[in-house]
Amino acid sequence: MQVRFLPGALFFVLAMNIIEIKDLKKDYLLGKTVVPALRGIDFSVEPGEFLSVIGPSGSGKTTLLNIIGCIDFATQGTVKIGDQEITLMNDRQITDIRLHRIGFIFQTFNLIPVLDAAENVEFPLLLMKKHSRAQIRKRAEFLIEAVGLKEFIRHKPAELSGGQRQRVAIARALVTKPDIILADEPTANLDSVTGSQILALMRDMNQKEKTTFIFSTHDPNVLRYAQKVVRLKDGLVDQNQ
Amino acid sequence: MVIGVILFLGAYLMTIGNGIAAGMDKGISDNIINSFMGHMVIVSDKQRSDNVLFDLYAKDVAPIYNFAQIKAVLQGEPYIKDFLPVGKNMAMILNEESDMMGAFLLGVDFEVYRKIFPDNFSVIEGKYPAGGERGVLIPAFTRKEIYDFTNIWLLPEGGKIVFSNLTPEAKEGRKDLIAKGQQVYMGFKDDNSTADVRVDIKGIIKYKALNTFWGHFVIMDIESYRECLGYFSAHEKTSEIPKESQALLNMDNSDLDGMFGESDMVVADKKGFRIAKLAIAEKVNKAPLNIDAGAYNLVFVKSADSNDLEKKAAALDKKLKEKDLGVRVLTWKKASGVIGNLAVIIKGVLFGFVVFLFLVAVIIIVNTLSMAALERVPEIGMMRAVGAQKSFIRDMFVAETVILAGIFGGLGIILGAITVLVLPSFHIATQNDMVQLLYGGDVLNPIIDAADILLAIGQLVLVTLVAVIYPVHIAKNIKPLDAIVRD
Repeated sequence: MQVRFLPGALFFVLAMNIIEIKDLKKDYLLGKTVVPALRGIDFSVEPGEFLSVIGPSGSGKTTLLNIIGCIDFATQGTVKIGDQEITLMNDRQITDIRLHRIGFIFQTFNLIPVLDAAENVEFPLLLMKKHSRAQIRKRAEFLIEAVGLKEFIRHKPAELSGGQRQRVAIARALVTKPDIILADEPTANLDSVTGSQILALMRDMNQKEKTTFIFSTHDPNVLRYAQKVVRLKDGLVDQNQ
Repeated sequence: MVIGVILFLGAYLMTIGNGIAAGMDKGISDNIINSFMGHMVIVSDKQRSDNVLFDLYAKDVAPIYNFAQIKAVLQGEPYIKDFLPVGKNMAMILNEESDMMGAFLLGVDFEVYRKIFPDNFSVIEGKYPAGGERGVLIPAFTRKEIYDFTNIWLLPEGGKIVFSNLTPEAKEGRKDLIAKGQQVYMGFKDDNSTADVRVDIKGIIKYKALNTFWGHFVIMDIESYRECLGYFSAHEKTSEIPKESQALLNMDNSDLDGMFGESDMVVADKKGFRIAKLAIAEKVNKAPLNIDAGAYNLVFVKSADSNDLEKKAAALDKKLKEKDLGVRVLTWKKASGVIGNLAVIIKGVLFGFVVFLFLVAVIIIVNTLSMAALERVPEIGMMRAVGAQKSFIRDMFVAETVILAGIFGGLGIILGAITVLVLPSFHIATQNDMVQLLYGGDVLNPIIDAADILLAIGQLVLVTLVAVIYPVHIAKNIKPLDAIVRD
């Protein structure tokens, strides 16, 4: 938590970090060899930030995003999302966090192949069991249109290009109005033009939906989109950034 | 698709199997009731075992001396259609040429027997004896067994060998064939108080179905039977014997303690008991023949219908006990021992086969579904990543399998039921004794009812649920990271 002065305001407010990471370590066991991926990371993210995690291959970017996204577990340290300490949660609670507070965009898109674009986007909302069928359909159509795929709404992933699939993934990540969207190398499998378009779209959504975006990349060209950059090197935050 | 085909075949075979088992159950029931022993059997109170039909190791079937009084009760019961008193015990067949061998004797009045069971066998050689005529009817099955054991080929007295009826072995050894038209029977009783009786063979018979069972029963006229078993025959009128003497007659010869009951008679030993019994017999005068005055072992009772047999048997039992007639009533199922339960046994075997079939099906389905779960790691992992709980994955897997089972298994059950309904119209008949067991008669007549269909559905549901447990376990434990790592 930190004290911030909001421009235009006549008073100080207490702004809570959306993510707080302390002394985060992650070791992988390869046979009998312990391979450290993260060696003790500390940093925090404020709500609405558009943050880029950069670093060379093997620096721990994906591991860090996976732990923040509750799809991998830390060996040591704490990760708080809002006021919830995720390292102490059980599978049911963790899954609930993933559903309600986090959206994912993956390098390989990871859409469900048997569902069309609209159904892929609707899927997380169906899991929430909070909205009517009509509300779900309306929200999905809105986002599909927002990412520019109105004409492809009934297309299966196999019938879409890489860039179109990633747009569907962005719409799916946004559909539950999560606090955080994590994007692991979202442009890695795209050509440079499409990659730029995707980043521009993410930035646009960040501003429109006020959603925190954290994306990893090792492409220095995409840095111009980032509002804040965390540079990783050998499993540690590079203090010389 | 593989799972669908397995479920379809499993359900199809299971439904047909159930239909055949049910048809066999009904066939055997109908056969026993209509062709052999009716719905109920009256036995003596002294009869220890309920299995009076086919128990090779039991004591002899206890005699009934008061059929005339039992008859009066039976004639007064509106739900009773017919009844037949019979003698039933084992006898030894004596031969000069070979060792002895055993046979079941059924002592009947031929005329009454024919009236009550008119179609249960056909006379393939000789003739059906008239009422009161002495002689035996030998089943072809028993003739074959006797030939195999003794090399003697039985034929009706005065008859000739019918070549076409010879067994292949008999045809081969025709030159050495010993043909006989008479047989000597010695009753087989615990107390050895039996006699040797020589009787003419009147005919060779073949039961309509289930010769494996009924073919063991040699049908003998009741008077010869009584003499053979050492019972009082109708010629030896028992009605005027004093009560004490009657009690002595009714007494089991081995039951010496019973001799010291209410009776004033004191009999020192077993030999004395026989002498006393003989003395009573000598008192019997030569009244006109009343066939029912002699001893029987069982009374076969045919009910007007097969409904509520247990209740009817209980009601008749109560009525007979009220008259203190010293008998009790069994349903045909109890009285026929293992044969009555044969359908249940074979049904159990068929069920075991179905269980085995489904066990194999379960293993194949488990493997296929597990492979499917592993192939779907990216999809399931992604579902978990975007917030699907393990319970959602479980429900999804179960629902998919249930739908598959519902469609393919349901189709199997429907087609199986249609097959069972259509099969009787082909009138598939057999003369093979073992196949007749499976058919429950000479014609394959499978039946299916709502209970069988419900049973098939239940089995299908069970198989589906058992088969889905392990794949669900695999699917539930797929982690989001597995999906990402794989990609």
